Amino acid sequence: MAAEVELKAGIPSGRKVITGNYAVSYGAALARAQVIAAYPITPQTQIVELLADFCAEGLLQAKFIKVESEHSAMAACIGASAVGARAFTATSAQGLALMHEMLHWAAGARLPVVLANVNRAMGPPWSIWTDQNDSLSQRDTGWIQYYCESNQEALDTVIQAYKVAERVSLPAMLVLDAFFLSHTSEPVEIPEQGLVDRYLPPYRPKYKLDLADPRAFGGITMPSEYFELRYKIQKAMEEALAVAEEADLEFKRLFGRGYGLVEPYRLEGAELALVTSGTVTSTARLVIDRLRAEGEKVGLLKARLFRPFPTSLVREHLLGILKIAVIDRNISFGHGGIFAQEIKSALYNHGQPPLFGFIAGLGGRDITPELIEEIIEYALSHDRPEEEIIWMGVKR
Amino acid sequence: MSTKEFAPDRPITFAAEREMPPMAVSLGTTLANKTGSWRYLRPVYDEKKPPCNHACPAGNDIRGFIALILKGRLAEARELLCETNPFPAITGRVCHHPCELECNRREFDEPLSIRALERLAGDKGYKALRAPHKRHEERIAVVGSGPAGLSCAYFLARRGYHVTILESEREPGGMLRWGIPEYRLPKGVLDRELALLKGMGIELKVGVRVGQDVRLEELDADAIFLAVGATKGLELDLPGLEAEGVLHGLEFLKRVNFGERVELGERVAIIGGGNTAMDAARVALRLGAKPIVIYRRTRAEMPAIPEEVEAALEEGIEFLFLAAPIEVLTTDGQLKGARFTRMELGPPDETGRRRPIPIKGSEFEMELDNLILAVGERPDLSFLPEGVELKEGRVNDPVLVRALKAPIFAGGDAATEAGTVVDAIASGRRVAEAIDRHLRGLPEPAKGEEPVLVPFARINLDYFEPRPRVQGRTLAVPERVTNFREVELGLSLEEGQLEAERCFSCGVCNQCDNCITYCPDVAISRHDDEYEVDYDYCKGCGICAQECPRWVISLVEEEK
Repeated sequence: MAAEVELKAGIPSGRKVITGNYAVSYGAALARAQVIAAYPITPQTQIVELLADFCAEGLLQAKFIKVESEHSAMAACIGASAVGARAFTATSAQGLALMHEMLHWAAGARLPVVLANVNRAMGPPWSIWTDQNDSLSQRDTGWIQYYCESNQEALDTVIQAYKVAERVSLPAMLVLDAFFLSHTSEPVEIPEQGLVDRYLPPYRPKYKLDLADPRAFGGITMPSEYFELRYKIQKAMEEALAVAEEADLEFKRLFGRGYGLVEPYRLEGAELALVTSGTVTSTARLVIDRLRAEGEKVGLLKARLFRPFPTSLVREHLLGILKIAVIDRNISFGHGGIFAQEIKSALYNHGQPPLFGFIAGLGGRDITPELIEEIIEYALSHDRPEEEIIWMGVKR
Repeated sequence: MSTKEFAPDRPITFAAEREMPPMAVSLGTTLANKTGSWRYLRPVYDEKKPPCNHACPAGNDIRGFIALILKGRLAEARELLCETNPFPAITGRVCHHPCELECNRREFDEPLSIRALERLAGDKGYKALRAPHKRHEERIAVVGSGPAGLSCAYFLARRGYHVTILESEREPGGMLRWGIPEYRLPKGVLDRELALLKGMGIELKVGVRVGQDVRLEELDADAIFLAVGATKGLELDLPGLEAEGVLHGLEFLKRVNFGERVELGERVAIIGGGNTAMDAARVALRLGAKPIVIYRRTRAEMPAIPEEVEAALEEGIEFLFLAAPIEVLTTDGQLKGARFTRMELGPPDETGRRRPIPIKGSEFEMELDNLILAVGERPDLSFLPEGVELKEGRVNDPVLVRALKAPIFAGGDAATEAGTVVDAIASGRRVAEAIDRHLRGLPEPAKGEEPVLVPFARINLDYFEPRPRVQGRTLAVPERVTNFREVELGLSLEEGQLEAERCFSCGVCNQCDNCITYCPDVAISRHDDEYEVDYDYCKGCGICAQECPRWVISLVEEEK
């Protein structure tokens, strides 16, 4: 199963104007995914449609498995990965939620499946537009999570995700905003297959389902061992931080592009740091540029890797800055924005600058430059937040 | 290290997390974990009795011979049938097949064509039998060469006895020869089956009427079997029955069967609803008459084999139900017609069928050239002392016992009321066993437990698809009504195998391997045709029993 496959004609490299969804498809094809199992759901469907085309045309030699649900899609990926195949799937919102049990399974079984989740608001009420509650609800399943800002980053992150996942034996999810990325075309550099192959060698797991070497996997484990196996997952997550950083650096050396685990933008001498993830970051860059030009001491920290959380990098970049404003396109009901909580907890015990948690853009509502200016304005004009959650744009 | 080389006999323990693999994976085989200890239900291969086998009066292993046909082993199929029935080529043609009524497939689509399959085995699996070793000195005389007498002779010969059959007619076979028309049971088939008995060393004396040519007391035998059949037609209490043109069903069939030219007029009424009535009507048709069957009940109550009624209808024979004759009309001793009354059905009688009651004032007349009475038969016991009644088994009548040196037994239609070929064959076998026990001084066998039959509900239908029954071909109606050619043409081997495939094999393993396929513990293995459950690992989940298509596997509770 895990035998190397050859692309017939191969995926053509070069610059192409494609959507975020197609960028993900190219990424999975270049990573030589061997088994793709997926169930269609808006706004993800195009990802696997193009992969199905690649398979049909022989550009990609993978087994494309049509399934009856996302739960089965992940189950098929788990089976494929267990025999040592590189497995890929893509989903959104309710589809990801339906996978939940299997997400735990993939992580607990230490299988490096890669999944692309197009962030779509959870229903009900039905929505097809973006927010992050679907993927952030899977925070504790043991999956690595990357949040992408651009179509290029989405393509590159698929490849990086496999590298990291296979090194640490944990599954990885890359996340992109519905429509703002999934259905928006941008110029994307499609790397050469040979270069990708150099970066990402075939997957060779130490333990796999093998008729020649039969083993039982996932059997009942007593309290005397279960605890240690959980400990090892956390250790693998911790290792993943270093591996991801190294993988990004190596990627940059080979392809000329890197993203970091977090990306500081004009943070030098900033008195206010804005923290964003996903496509909001691009909008925020424009606002920061404008405000810097007006002499405001504001900067930006883009959160890319969410799990494992790059705690020390966050501290490194944010400690010493007077105020922090976090924009969350998500809400943990009963507490607040999830990125804000994570940043707060990273800074606790390490000096505690005032942190403003903003909720904005749920269910795909636009986060405009004006809204971001308003957020910065609020943070600059208050010493401390007046509320734990600052809701931006609620019609009251 | 490969798990194949590493089979720890106790659990592997880890002192530190560093020694552990990243996920829950076995480092050796898991054979140390004897999951059989979890079991409280034990699957056992426990074959049960198919309802067809149970329904067969002769006790044929129907499921077994069909399985052999499926494998194309026709000679073995016939051999298996001959364990319980010497004449599969005959019953394969004329049996009233109660097996098909009980076939579980009936509730799914249509019952198997068991009779046609038996004929296939009987015809195409035919092979000569060797004379069995004569182990015993005793000589047995069988009176009557009908199916009961022949069957008894066959089973006694197999047990090593000297058997002589005495037949009053000039040819053997009894009712098989002169009661059943040629188009149902060709004489050639009968002769072929009889030849086997001669090959076994059974002596056959024809044209010897006991009580006339030889007295019962004169028979030189250590045991006597009376199988004289039911040869006398029952009479109706009708004025005018002695008229010219009135015939008795059996007598009519016998004359035709023995090649006599029987002149019939055009309009022939047959009175009765049994097989003799059907045979008489269809024979009359073939002799050029225009028969009408008149029966006092309705079609549903007819005792005839349904296929015979169907065939008669196909051939254009008229039926008049709910009518009975009350008077034969004659002119100068010559039949001119009959007067009938219409009947209606009242409450059920002792046979369970609704009793026909005449409707007052409904009488009508019918002009007829012939009237054939086929209202039942009874044995002709005029050769026995007055008042002797025969029941199957040893005859205990004191007069008879005193008169004879040898013990005397009875069976077949002379002693039972069954009136079918297969029942006569079964009766002959039972009596053969009784004679053997008597001569060998053996006790009656203990009555075994009632067998567990497989009900339809126990068949796992997920494994079967509805498929129409393979019907044997028949001669087209125009090709059959003017002659005595055999109507049913039988099955080819291919057709037979196609039909045999439909058999559910109720309660009998046919090595489908479903149990192996489904066992989640890989605890079932097969050695040739035998399955073995490794109870060290069988958790007793019961999936094998659930997925067995035919209820071979039973789950029994483990002892606590």
